[in-house]
Amino acid sequence: MNLGFWLRWSWRDLKARWLQVVAIALIIALGTGVFAGLGGQETWRVESLDQSYERLNHYDLQVDFADGTYVDEDTLSAALSAIEGLNDAEPRLVAATLVDASTDKEDILVSGRVVGVDVTEGGPYVDEIHIEAGDGRSFTSEDAGQRVVVVEKKFADYYDLQPGDSIRVSGDVSLDYVGTGTFAEYFQIIPEDGTFSGEASLAILFMPLDTLQDLTGHTGLVNDVVITVQDGASRAAVATAVEETLAATFPEVGFEVTMPEDDPVHHILYSDARNDQDTWNLIGALFLIGASFGAFNLAGRMVESQRRQIGIGMALGVPRGWLAFRPLLVGAQIAILGTIMGLVIGWGLSLLFANLFKTLLPLPYWGTSLYLPGYIRAALLGLALPLVATMIPVWRAVRVQPIDAIKSGHLVAKGGGLSWLLNYLPIPGRSFTQMPFRNILRSPWRTLLTVLGIAMAILLMTAFIGFMDSFIATLDQGEEAYLYQGRDRLLVQLDTFYPQGSERVTDIVQMTDQSGERMFGETEPALVLGGKLSQGTESIDTLLELHDMQNPIWVPRLIDGELRGDMPGIVISEKAAEDLGVKVGDSITLEHPLREGEMAFRLVETEIPLVGIHDNPIRGLSYMDMAGAAAMGLGDMTNMVVVTPDNGSDATSIKRALLVQPGVASVQAIGEFADALEEALEIFVAILAIIQGIVLLMAFLIAFNSTSINVDERSREFATMFAFGLPLRTVTRMQVVENLLIGILGTALGVVLGWLALNYLLVQRVEDQLEDFKFIITLSPDTLAISVALGVLVVALTPLLSIRKMSRMDIPSTLRVME
Amino acid sequence: MIELKQLSKRYQMGSVTVTALHEISLEIGEGEFVVVLGPSGSGKSTLLNMISALDTPTAGQVIIRGHDITRANRQQKFSFRRDTISFIFQTFNLFPSLTALENVQFAVDMKGNGARPDSAMQVLQAVGLGERANHFPHELSGGEQQRVAIARALATGNPILLADEPTGELDFQTGVQILQLLESQAHSGKTVLVVTHNREISRIADRVIELSSGQIVSDGAPQEGKAPIAELHW
Repeated sequence: MNLGFWLRWSWRDLKARWLQVVAIALIIALGTGVFAGLGGQETWRVESLDQSYERLNHYDLQVDFADGTYVDEDTLSAALSAIEGLNDAEPRLVAATLVDASTDKEDILVSGRVVGVDVTEGGPYVDEIHIEAGDGRSFTSEDAGQRVVVVEKKFADYYDLQPGDSIRVSGDVSLDYVGTGTFAEYFQIIPEDGTFSGEASLAILFMPLDTLQDLTGHTGLVNDVVITVQDGASRAAVATAVEETLAATFPEVGFEVTMPEDDPVHHILYSDARNDQDTWNLIGALFLIGASFGAFNLAGRMVESQRRQIGIGMALGVPRGWLAFRPLLVGAQIAILGTIMGLVIGWGLSLLFANLFKTLLPLPYWGTSLYLPGYIRAALLGLALPLVATMIPVWRAVRVQPIDAIKSGHLVAKGGGLSWLLNYLPIPGRSFTQMPFRNILRSPWRTLLTVLGIAMAILLMTAFIGFMDSFIATLDQGEEAYLYQGRDRLLVQLDTFYPQGSERVTDIVQMTDQSGERMFGETEPALVLGGKLSQGTESIDTLLELHDMQNPIWVPRLIDGELRGDMPGIVISEKAAEDLGVKVGDSITLEHPLREGEMAFRLVETEIPLVGIHDNPIRGLSYMDMAGAAAMGLGDMTNMVVVTPDNGSDATSIKRALLVQPGVASVQAIGEFADALEEALEIFVAILAIIQGIVLLMAFLIAFNSTSINVDERSREFATMFAFGLPLRTVTRMQVVENLLIGILGTALGVVLGWLALNYLLVQRVEDQLEDFKFIITLSPDTLAISVALGVLVVALTPLLSIRKMSRMDIPSTLRVME
Repeated sequence: MIELKQLSKRYQMGSVTVTALHEISLEIGEGEFVVVLGPSGSGKSTLLNMISALDTPTAGQVIIRGHDITRANRQQKFSFRRDTISFIFQTFNLFPSLTALENVQFAVDMKGNGARPDSAMQVLQAVGLGERANHFPHELSGGEQQRVAIARALATGNPILLADEPTGELDFQTGVQILQLLESQAHSGKTVLVVTHNREISRIADRVIELSSGQIVSDGAPQEGKAPIAELHW
């Protein structure tokens, strides 16, 4: 016997079952493809991020001054220039604004942030602006003092804005839009409350520093500086030197020296890449496990069907090695076919994801998404899986006594398995009704493998959509917390702190429309400040709002504690309370700005009682009564006015009117929360669609193969039924019922495992990337319906695909088949 | 009861045409016990397949109880098999996941003729397997499995019983028991048609139709004379 003979024989085996072989190979391919395609996402994304940050000469240190603080640009530059190891320091001015980018097609009135950068020498050189070909130009030294602006790319892309389009900012200032660019600190747009991507509702604009100073009335002043250190110098040492220098130069000013790792965008992008990879690995592993169950089940059954022939070979004295060789060759051929297809799928998947990320994250550099070690690992697994799957039944088959293997009907004579259980669980109805139950119990191991294969597919679906459900439920709760009261209110942020009775504030409060009608029904001066909550060694950033709790347009809804104007104290989120380990009645430390002068704030720590826990899932949101403002040096001051529309005004007309109002930095309707939510979900929906498609295909293939092999294995039973005149529809119905039961078992198991995986995924993410949320882990009825539709209906209806095969069955020949 | 007119069946095997049956004509009456005898490849199983509407003739007619089943559509053929004939196979073809009783009950359920719930048990007892009713096929001997198969066929109550080499897988003693069961069915008024290559078995029949190369070479009483089952030897 030579190799050619065995190869020919195995080819005939493949040919006889080509559809099942292709299906198994495709299952293996999906498993290895997902594993290969998603396996190198972290490496690729991290490399792209590293390169992108490097190309834009991202800062090593940033000085973040306390809210409302401005320092003299020249004094700051002079102080920093003396620091040893410091390479470059570029002071900047960052200001909030209202942006009107309306086009002929739509009104675009959103909150904005303008970053004033030094262009006098052709900069900026720290944190450069990246502009792609066709997106206009960056700044030149000639732009200094000019009203030119570069618009951040994600915002521009979202609204399809081009250089030359109209851009107006607070004070009704028209700007010359010269380019669309990317800036390292805004690779992702994160609003101040730290929630989620917000390019739909937050415009970032870059402008020459002196122009912005002029527009905001802060001539010669800055509130931000970015620093690079010399090669070889210690970043930590330079940071310490910067802190000491600034403390000495501006003793009355609060500031914080931060590193790129402290930047939420930087942190999220890197942790996203890492956590996403963990998720992809989990998904890839689950796909592989699902494929393994499928392959074990199907390869095992193929070997079983050859077992009698193996027995005959044994009786003829063929060595066991040769007997094992034939089915192993089939396994090897499936492995090779599956791996090749898997690598193609993996390649396609990685390109798909690469394009998706390139669209959602406009980095200046994107590396190749094809990660070779991931492909090699996947290829090895893809090759090993079917071989191992074949080896086990082959090993079992060649170990039996030849006489047992030869015995006719060895497949059917193996007994009832667990079908005796039905003696204790009597099922009503005819024997036709009972037969599907008996068939399932008759081969418990086989049933289990099929159920597990389907369960893996459902697990993926449930976990992934459940992740989305949880995300939406959490954000819905956040939205509800904002909107349960004062749904139509707008938050008018001022460019600095003003006395509540000042002209700037009263002008806003009493604003009228063109017919002289007041635009606002209710108005409420409030304060919003950045700060830090801490207890022991734990601390978290917070966005603190101070409202008049006795006369509010909106107050936070409490789930614990009580809001009392006469009792000073702070209300924090449930997640913050959990993370800090505090409860109502405890004291916590609040680091907050303390006003020292007109434009100078110092950061101080104050012990403050915790009086309540609010229901917003966003961790960083904290609230106090305006009575607490005095302790911050802000008694009777305001930097945010809450208003409600009246007399026919709406968010757009109010924004347009406020655009020309001096002192207004930004205006945001509270309902715009939903727009940002939609934006944030875009990536999830896109990824979900891909995963859903693969899961659907895999579940279908497992079900199809299982049914198809069932038809082959039971062909003699079906032929007998046909010989007795049982109609095709009845036989098909029995198969549908059998698959339905398997589908129900697989789906139930998949949903339970999916729920556990969902918890694992979220817990894992919450610990790192999503620490700013109190997650509601949930599965929506829609998700369950999709899982049931996929796992039960698709699997149950798969036998319909075998109708043609059964209707064309050669009954007389099949009745004589001895396997 | 059964009438075949100029029945032919030809298969195309590549470029070669194989004639399995060639212009067979015969009539079998109600209650007859007929053995179709012939060596392998003589066309006897093909003949059985034609009578049971499992296969379609190339030419000729199969008329059962006055109906030409060669003209029946698929639905009608299913109905015909369900209501008119019952099968006994050489390899038993029992449903492995059903017990002996359930295999018989399957036939009762299939008929859906309102048979009493205990009728399956009665039939099983009639073939001497009342004690083994709750055993699965793999727990039964070959003879017992064939008796279950006979019980299943009888449980349909159909007037024609077709048996394809019913003793082929059995030892002599067990084979005799099976033949006795079949003979008793003929005596009770059913038309029994047994296909075999064993000439000795044909001696129990009322009539022996001998086939060779797809043609009837003899049709009549057993050549060696009818013999009681007890005198058979093979």
